[in-house]
Amino acid sequence: MSDTQRAGSSKPRLTLLVAKRDYLRTVRRRGYIFGTLLLPLGIAGLMAISTLFSVDGIGDDGEASGTIVIVNSSDVPITDISSDVINLTTLSEEAAGARLASGIITEYYLIPEDVRETGAVTRIEPDAGLSISRLESQENKEQLLRYLMRDALLREAGVAPEDAERILQGLTVTAITTEGEEVSGLDIAAGIAVPMVFVAIFMISIFITSGYLLQSVTEEKENRVVEIVLSSIPPMPLMAGKIIGLGGAGLTQVGIWVLTALIAIPLLSSQVADLGSIELDPTVLALALIYFVLGYLAYGAIFAAIGAMAPGNREAQQYSGFLGFFAAIPFIVFSVFLTDIESIAVIALSLFPLTAPTSMLLVLGLSEEVPWTLVGASLVSLSLFAVLAAWASARIFRATVLLYGVRPSLGQLIDAVRPTR
Amino acid sequence: MTSASAPVTPASAAAVDVRGVWKRYGDTDVVIDLSFDVHPGEVLGFLGPNGSGKTTTMRMILDIIRPAKGDISVFDGPPGVEHQDRIGYLPEDRGLYRDVKIIDTLTYFGALRGLSQSAGRARARQLLDEMGLGDAAEKKAAELSRGMHQKAQLIATILNDPDLLIIDEPFQGLDPVNAELLKGVVRDQRDAGAAVIMSTHDMGDAQTLCDRILLIDEGKRLLYGTVDRVREAFSDGAVQVSGKGIPTDADTLDSVTDVHEVDGAVRYLIRDGATPQDLFRELASNGTHVEQFAVQAPSLDEIFIRTVAGDPRAEAVR
Repeated sequence: MSDTQRAGSSKPRLTLLVAKRDYLRTVRRRGYIFGTLLLPLGIAGLMAISTLFSVDGIGDDGEASGTIVIVNSSDVPITDISSDVINLTTLSEEAAGARLASGIITEYYLIPEDVRETGAVTRIEPDAGLSISRLESQENKEQLLRYLMRDALLREAGVAPEDAERILQGLTVTAITTEGEEVSGLDIAAGIAVPMVFVAIFMISIFITSGYLLQSVTEEKENRVVEIVLSSIPPMPLMAGKIIGLGGAGLTQVGIWVLTALIAIPLLSSQVADLGSIELDPTVLALALIYFVLGYLAYGAIFAAIGAMAPGNREAQQYSGFLGFFAAIPFIVFSVFLTDIESIAVIALSLFPLTAPTSMLLVLGLSEEVPWTLVGASLVSLSLFAVLAAWASARIFRATVLLYGVRPSLGQLIDAVRPTR
Repeated sequence: MTSASAPVTPASAAAVDVRGVWKRYGDTDVVIDLSFDVHPGEVLGFLGPNGSGKTTTMRMILDIIRPAKGDISVFDGPPGVEHQDRIGYLPEDRGLYRDVKIIDTLTYFGALRGLSQSAGRARARQLLDEMGLGDAAEKKAAELSRGMHQKAQLIATILNDPDLLIIDEPFQGLDPVNAELLKGVVRDQRDAGAAVIMSTHDMGDAQTLCDRILLIDEGKRLLYGTVDRVREAFSDGAVQVSGKGIPTDADTLDSVTDVHEVDGAVRYLIRDGATPQDLFRELASNGTHVEQFAVQAPSLDEIFIRTVAGDPRAEAVR
């Protein structure tokens, strides 16, 4: 083989080769593509449904859906209204029936004589399938009809118009902090729910990405390819290549999700009340990315070692399952984060490497300001653990990956990670 | 029977030099003070029962695992990634990525062995065509027959035209056609100047393919040398003759000490100081009609059994 055909065998080249190969192989998997697009597609679906439900103006037949036709047989003085938004027209039953038959209107309402006693109104409509938008349009009309009925009764009873208006509108409570800032209930809910959702997505992504690493190792082991690969590239660069490649695949996925969120939130805010108040702080976002990378390194290293030790993929999945418990602990004790974010429990969870990514992301999401001391301490703890885990994992990988169908003993594992070995 | 090629003169620098190597797993020494070398242009047969330490030794040469003690030199340097583009390895437990196209797997293996992407792909295509697998290039391994798998694994081993070929139980599970194909590959690589280390259980294969053999058991070297020399060391000086009027009385022949009739032939034990040629001359002078005259040397199978049983003649070739 001539020199021009050789690309060399340096460790960095081989590491990048493995990284590139594992990255491309993963991002081309159907499961990965589906998983990555699930969030954007889900948000698109949410937007579509939201749009469907927010139809308020145009009905199925092109008629202004704000037009309400009533046949009033009672003595309640409901007056006709004609405005840009709302039209209420009182017709005889024959005239209303004729309009319905000709398709000019989609329904009309029969207000019976005894409506004062019963409060019962009948909607007359053709025997046709209903669409969601039409159902919503009818609901809006009926709300308005109720309002107008109450208004008519209040006026009839001699209640002053402004009092009638107040009775009909009810009270609005606005909360204001002692600093004078308005407090919104939705803001509070969003302030709790949004960090939780983001942390859950990040943790799921860490586990999915670590799962790719586990899958990659067990696949090579099960396919009896790992020894050929190991004869070409040492365990450490091989592990590094896999961690980089599959971490890249995970980051690509998270990147697409974050990008989707950045694009979708302004779009959805026009349709979902108060969503526009959600702000993604760039500092928190950057820290989240760092916690993602370190969390992935910590969990990924353990997953890779499990993949090397386990006789097969099924066993590896079972062994790795218990790690999910660590990531879930902060969610289980979420109330502690809500009640006292500076408590010993929160600090301990933020410093313990396996709970640090979830805990710190929750802390960052729930804190008014970034707690830099805690961030620094947890980053140091997590970084040290990630380096140690990667080092031990590479040694365990080297010692156990070629034990086909055999579970290594505890002695073998201790022997593998003993520094003097 | 003789070895497959002319005796090798290990005058050239060794491709692999193993000196006093030990390896321990837990409380068990799996390789004990093992020394040997392999030179370019020779096939070293690495023999021994299951669990004798053959695979462990090969993995140490490949730097997959490290020895506890001793030195291993590969191409005059320590084992490591810098030699990987000169090595081809066919492990005992071998396979392919099941859901990946054969051409992609081979290209990846070629890249791991130092070939550029384009060179690896081109070389893989060339070898696939040569081995009649051209149509399978775009198929996934899961779609291939067992025989095709074996050929593809073989291609992966020699993609980079290795200077050192390490093959662990290469004929295990091979169908006869692919076994012959592999033997041809081993000979071709050896003839092209590659050093070959081949572990095998099959003494017949070792006898036909290997220039030298290394027999180990429980991690220790028991035999080491050229096939002819090892067989000679275990030869008991017997000659088997068949024909008409073959004498069966030892007293009538000066050059023998003992005579036995075996399966229609006569087996003579040559007297110390005499040679098989002396016996042949005696038989000819007696007017015996000799149809077959074969110097009896034990097969490697017999030598293996005798050595493991503690035959003192092994000391001469240890």
